[in-house]
Amino acid sequence: MNISREQWRMIIALVLVAVISTVLLGITNMLTKAPIAQAQRQALMQALMQVLPEHSNDPITDTFILSPKDSQPITFYISRNPEQHINAIAWQTIAPDGYNGSIHILIAVNPDSSIHAIRIIDHQETPGLGDGIVKNIPWIHAFSDKSLSNARWAVRKDGGDFDQFTGATITPRAVVKAVKKALQMFAQSQVLRLVSKSEVNHAQ
Amino acid sequence: MHSNATSNSNDTPIRNADILADGLWHNNTIFTQLLGMCPLLGVTTSAENGFWMGAATLLALICSNVTVSLIRGGIPEHVRIPAYITIIAAFVSIIGMAMNAWMHEMYLILGLFIPLIVVNCAILGRAEAFASKNTPIHSFVDAIAMGSGFTFALVLLGGVRELLGQGELFGFEVLGANYPDVLMFILPPGAFIALGFILAGVNIIKQRMQAQKKALMMASSSSDAVEAVPQAK
Repeated sequence: MNISREQWRMIIALVLVAVISTVLLGITNMLTKAPIAQAQRQALMQALMQVLPEHSNDPITDTFILSPKDSQPITFYISRNPEQHINAIAWQTIAPDGYNGSIHILIAVNPDSSIHAIRIIDHQETPGLGDGIVKNIPWIHAFSDKSLSNARWAVRKDGGDFDQFTGATITPRAVVKAVKKALQMFAQSQVLRLVSKSEVNHAQ
Repeated sequence: MHSNATSNSNDTPIRNADILADGLWHNNTIFTQLLGMCPLLGVTTSAENGFWMGAATLLALICSNVTVSLIRGGIPEHVRIPAYITIIAAFVSIIGMAMNAWMHEMYLILGLFIPLIVVNCAILGRAEAFASKNTPIHSFVDAIAMGSGFTFALVLLGGVRELLGQGELFGFEVLGANYPDVLMFILPPGAFIALGFILAGVNIIKQRMQAQKKALMMASSSSDAVEAVPQAK
């Protein structure tokens, strides 16, 4: 098969455009890789600062990773007081059944397994209705000090202890359900015990 | 392609002022061409979101217009569209990575709409209709004009929706704490309704301007125009 001059010109032009674009993208990727990681780290740090009590360690590096058989590994961020005692543990969970996609929640629990604080870190809920889970501060604070034993984990409409919003029940219901599940997982997998155990090993 | 005063007049010299007026107003991407509706309706829940979406698009448009103009002699006619798309996609990806690194929060808000700039037909349209036929300097001016016109439309729609929907503008309380938020304007239907009213307003202004221009021309060209002037008003 003969390739005409005109066809060679097309091939060369497209190859050149593709190669130059690829090189530019590669260079940009190299330049932005570290700043992107830094920005993500900072975003996580800011979120952790909101849910954790005062601490003297760096919770982003002081972590414990749990690998359940049936799901993705979960990273627990550990917060310690100046005496190096654990004063809270935080991790991320996802409510898959929001009104519009997944809701990402950061949960921090006290050493007695009650909640210290929660924050919604990512969601696409309806502005003005479902996004009350971010903007309605009293609603978020209502989670503090709740534990599996001292609260009914459902919205009031379903006979629980948590408010729904006017015009939006699905979003708070999804969050309450996800937080409850996260607390059950935390208790069942005995994270607190595993963390202190790994510390004993570490110390030896 | 739309008829465009500046793009098909290769014989007569193009004036930068005309390119600017064309992009900002006469041939505005949103108001006249009705292109780029997807980012327009999708991200304009606030004036700030509209501004940054417009700025990212403006930057992509400048890069692609200048590049396409620089290589306009070297790309064979038959493969020009894939070549343009590759160039646009490369620049948009670069802008996306840069925003992710240095404007992380806004990157998370605009999310999917940043990579979608690649398929904003306004950008390919300018590469095809203008940059492939004009000098890099004129293409640069054209990108500035078209991109600014686009940004202006996004900020306007975002501002109207934010003001009516939340009583705020660029995040500042404007209508007071007692303003009852008209939620609908933040939701997708509000985007369509607000856009409809804005387009109607733009058309009224355009008609008035045209009538005035006509009246002026007639007044200067003949004495008959004396009758036409009161009519135009």
